[in-house]
Amino acid sequence: MIGLSHYLIVSALLFSIGLIGVLRRRNLLMLFFATEVMLNAVNIAFAAISHFYNDLSGQMFAFFVIAIAASEVAVGLGILIVLYKKHGSLDLDDLATMKG
Amino acid sequence: MDYILSILVFFPAIAALLGFVIDKDSARVYGITVAAIEFFLSLWLWFSFDGSNAGMQFVELIPVIPDFGVNYYLGVDGISLFIILMTTMMTLIGIMSLSVKENVKNMIITLLFLEMTMVGVFVSLDAIIFYLFWELSLVPMLYIIGAWGGSLRVYAAVKFFLYTFAGSLIMLVGMLFMAYTYQSLTGVWSFALTDWYALVLPVSYQMWLFAAFFIGFAIKVPMFPFHTWLPYAHGQAPTIGSVILAAVLLKMGTYGFVRFSLPLFPDAAVIWITPIAVLSIIMIIYTAMVAYAQKDMKQVIAYSSVSHMGIVMLGIFAMNAEGIGGSVFQMLSHGIVSGALFMLVGVIYDRRHTKMMDEFGGIAAVMPKYAVIFGIMLVASVGLPLTIGFVGEFLVLIGFYQVSPIMTILAGTSIIIGSVYMLSLFKKSFFGPVTKEENRNLKDLDAKETWSLVPLVAIVVWLGIYPKPILDPIDNSVKAMLNFMDEKAITQEAKDMIHVAKSTKEAK
Amino acid sequence: MMENLVYIALFAPLVSSLFAAMFGMSQRKTFVGVIASLLLFTSFVASATLAVEVFTTGEAIAVTMMQWIGMGDLYIPFGFVVDQVSVTMMTMVSLISTIVHVYSIGYMDHDKSFNRFFSYLSAFVFSMMVLVMSDNFAGLFIGWEGVGVCSWLLIGFWYHKPDQSREDNPSISPSWAANEAFIMNRIADLGMLVGLFILYWNVGSLQYDAVFAAIPNLDQWILNGAAIALFIGAMGKSAQFPLHTWLTDAMEGPTPVSALIHAATMVTAGVFLVIRANPLFAVTPEVSYFIAALGTFVAFFAASMALVNRDLKRIIAFSTLSQLGYMFAAAGLGAYWIALFHLVAHAFFKALLFLGAGNVMHAMHDELDIFKMGGLKKVMRPTYIYMGLASLTLAGIFPLAGFFSKDAIIETAFNEGTYILWIMLVVTAGMTAFYSFRQVFLTFHGTERYDHHEIHPHEMYKFVLIAMSPLAILAVIAGFFKGGFETFVTSLLPAYHMSEHTHHYVWLLTAIVTLFAVGGILLAYLKYNKGLERNEKLENSFIYKLLANQYYIPRLYEEMISKPYAMISEKFWHGVDLKIVDRTVDGIAHFLYRSGDVNRRMQTGNLSHYLNWMAVGAVVLMVAAAVTAMIG
Repeated sequence: MIGLSHYLIVSALLFSIGLIGVLRRRNLLMLFFATEVMLNAVNIAFAAISHFYNDLSGQMFAFFVIAIAASEVAVGLGILIVLYKKHGSLDLDDLATMKG
Repeated sequence: MDYILSILVFFPAIAALLGFVIDKDSARVYGITVAAIEFFLSLWLWFSFDGSNAGMQFVELIPVIPDFGVNYYLGVDGISLFIILMTTMMTLIGIMSLSVKENVKNMIITLLFLEMTMVGVFVSLDAIIFYLFWELSLVPMLYIIGAWGGSLRVYAAVKFFLYTFAGSLIMLVGMLFMAYTYQSLTGVWSFALTDWYALVLPVSYQMWLFAAFFIGFAIKVPMFPFHTWLPYAHGQAPTIGSVILAAVLLKMGTYGFVRFSLPLFPDAAVIWITPIAVLSIIMIIYTAMVAYAQKDMKQVIAYSSVSHMGIVMLGIFAMNAEGIGGSVFQMLSHGIVSGALFMLVGVIYDRRHTKMMDEFGGIAAVMPKYAVIFGIMLVASVGLPLTIGFVGEFLVLIGFYQVSPIMTILAGTSIIIGSVYMLSLFKKSFFGPVTKEENRNLKDLDAKETWSLVPLVAIVVWLGIYPKPILDPIDNSVKAMLNFMDEKAITQEAKDMIHVAKSTKEAK
Repeated sequence: MMENLVYIALFAPLVSSLFAAMFGMSQRKTFVGVIASLLLFTSFVASATLAVEVFTTGEAIAVTMMQWIGMGDLYIPFGFVVDQVSVTMMTMVSLISTIVHVYSIGYMDHDKSFNRFFSYLSAFVFSMMVLVMSDNFAGLFIGWEGVGVCSWLLIGFWYHKPDQSREDNPSISPSWAANEAFIMNRIADLGMLVGLFILYWNVGSLQYDAVFAAIPNLDQWILNGAAIALFIGAMGKSAQFPLHTWLTDAMEGPTPVSALIHAATMVTAGVFLVIRANPLFAVTPEVSYFIAALGTFVAFFAASMALVNRDLKRIIAFSTLSQLGYMFAAAGLGAYWIALFHLVAHAFFKALLFLGAGNVMHAMHDELDIFKMGGLKKVMRPTYIYMGLASLTLAGIFPLAGFFSKDAIIETAFNEGTYILWIMLVVTAGMTAFYSFRQVFLTFHGTERYDHHEIHPHEMYKFVLIAMSPLAILAVIAGFFKGGFETFVTSLLPAYHMSEHTHHYVWLLTAIVTLFAVGGILLAYLKYNKGLERNEKLENSFIYKLLANQYYIPRLYEEMISKPYAMISEKFWHGVDLKIVDRTVDGIAHFLYRSGDVNRRMQTGNLSHYLNWMAVGAVVLMVAAAVTAMIG
């Protein structure tokens, strides 16, 4: 029987993968993917807990997250394209113009 | 005129706003007019003030944030009345003697804003309003030093601002904690000083709160070892900045002690007498000696200010009417005398663009009028009887004698070492033969300078001979305050130290 | 009516001062001096009338003008009392000031600051009047400080003179001497203030009558404390050891100033204070005995320095110091009226002596070295007579005033059984006679040692000489009024009578003193009448040098006090204020700034690094939350 804890473990693993991606990746596009993975990990946790408690607000929240993620990607990709056009690279190590 | 205090506070501010549209060439006249009107308003305040009433008068109370007990709450008593008068007078005289050449209009506007904040500090009876004006007063001064100052002006201005600002933030924490305590004890929020007065606090609370307020006030006074911003600020500020700084801004600190620290925390204040007296004595002797070592005339006066403020501090913690009343009077006398001395140094600086004493010598022969006025201010500064400087110093010392004879003798050395640095300054710059060619043809005081200095000379002599009109209202309010502190004190030590005047006791 | 006279006596000098001040910056105007002198004379007339009034009625006149300071329980009025003591002082002060004012018209003739001089001089007289007339200690202190500041102004009157080395001019410069006088007096004034504080907190008032009435109820240690503190004040003003060096340096001032302030009036203020506060000093025998001993010591000490001095004015200044010692000796031994009598008599003959010295200076173009004078009696006979007369009086020769007053003091010392004091005072009397006549002979007798081509001595103006005559007359006859004076002032001051024992010896005592005085004069005559014979061996001897350098005390003060003070001040400024206090403040600011600078490196601009920091932060927060949740 697959229980709540399995879902949560999957969610945690996914989140860790996303987090490692965020920490290790240098390419902005890959960072985006990694954040998407993290968001989806959270979505899984939301849905699972929502089901566990029989409370729909968790699933509703998951939808919100999906919607926000979609719009975020749209805006983010737009920025990335502009950045790429300007710098010819999406490597973070090359994009350190805000150095203090 | 029920709203005389509001008018006094906001008239210069409104006039300053209007000043933006005034023509550049008439800015000076405009400034003098506004400051003169303000001064006459404050005179009117004095005439309608009831000297026999020791409590707050002309009270105005408008709730601002009722939920948190923040009110627009103003009032004056005998202690603050004359400081307000001195503020408006010194601003007027400062503007009259203004000698800056560039951006005169900006200077006038800044000064008028500064006047608002200064008057505001002395009339506020609500901690938040007080704090507001207190902090606002830094801004125009920062601007005056930073924009019209000498070569190190930015360093001096920033140092002045950050140092005093840091201190007053700690004071703000103290105020918030006080209000919080008030709320937890009574159930309602209030920042009104009169409400706070009624609150009897446990000694441990008093100690912490006293310490928080102490830091804010002590930096402003400035007490040793928090005084080092002052020589820079004075050294770099233009003449008008030094005049206002010495005459009024420093008094905010000592006024704060009288208005907040003593009546709010009488037990803590009594416990703190010895440490503060020791600091004051160090201030008096040490800075007087440092003043003697100075080569720059203005620095001598700056350090002498610190030394004289030590006398004021000592008197406040004498815990008797003689000492506290003497301190309040000494605030006035120091304001007038040191203001005048800074103006006098400004006079010579305008002519020679140097303030170094070894650049001068024999000035008395070249500029006799200048030398006479300088001499009068000098003897007032060293506390000669029948000048304003004596009354305050004498009362403070006689008051503190009751607390500790030994410390009074140590503090009394100020009459010796005070004359050492002042007389050596006078000798180096005014006596002896004229050694420098360029000093041979210096112009004596012109009409503008004479007319700004003569009123100060008149006041120095008048209040030295007949200080009664000033002393009586101060005396009333101080006696009432002591009486109140004595009743409020919870520890027996504090009750023993706080001396209610015999005449008050008999009246009861 | 009498009240008005009090105010006239008091305020006429002030009016005179203000009047002269109006012309302070304009050209020399003789009428300023004339009007000032007339106003001073008015004051004298009023004082004399009051003296007659007090003498006939025997009652003091008290007036209270207005309140001065009122705060807490402290109440100080401007109150004045004219009683036997103060009216004596008033008459003496106003008389001598009038004469000095007239004298100054002649003496300051060529000075471009003529008007200013009269303004200062009259201001001094006003302060002195306040000092002697006040009915409370605070009022006395007003006058006390007032005369101090006027003395500062007048010593430094020729402020334009440059500083010289101590070898060239022992008082360095007028402005230096003025500052020295003021600061040294301030040291003593602190003592005086403490005395006021002690009295106020134990009595509750500073009025003389209230204080004196409360004395029986006070503890002995309080009385001793107050007496010591007040006497410290008196030591400064009357230049008693160790605060004596300013008085000789004060001779840098114009000579009329030396006559009025540093001989006749201001320096006697200390003695006046002890006399005024006699109820206090009478109940503190230890302090009084100390006063007498110190006075005797100073009398001897100052006379010893006068023996070898070459400066005309400084010799007279030392003799003033010495005579002040006599007065303190008398006051300390309880003979207050004798002290007051000597004070008055001394004022007459010492002012005369100084004014005579002024004439000599005027004649010799400000030359002060008596080794460079001589033979002046041919050209300056009246001055010679005046100075000779004054010196005879100073030496205490019968029947001049000094004989009666000084003899009484020496007799008192014998009467009290303080034989050491008595011997010292007798010896000092001999020394006094010697140095006074050394000066007279060197100045007026013998060969002319000045340069005939450059200096043409001439006698002073006639009106000046006439103005000096009252002093000469009083110096001669004042002694005969001793009895009357005694009855007059002892209605206020405690009476003092010699014991039977002393009466028995009185002729012998007088003979001894006279012997010493005449001996001193004879010695001076033998040595100096012919002219000056310098004795190299003597002048190079240790004692001679010690005396000529005032026991090296001024140098000691400079090395032990002035220089260390300047050095410590400098250390405090550079070593402490800038290096420690200010550096700490700047250090805190720098620390904050530096830490920001260090942390700035976190801001690499690399998003990946930020994300790493963010993750670290999130983990830290979560751990913190978990830990608190577990603890909570």
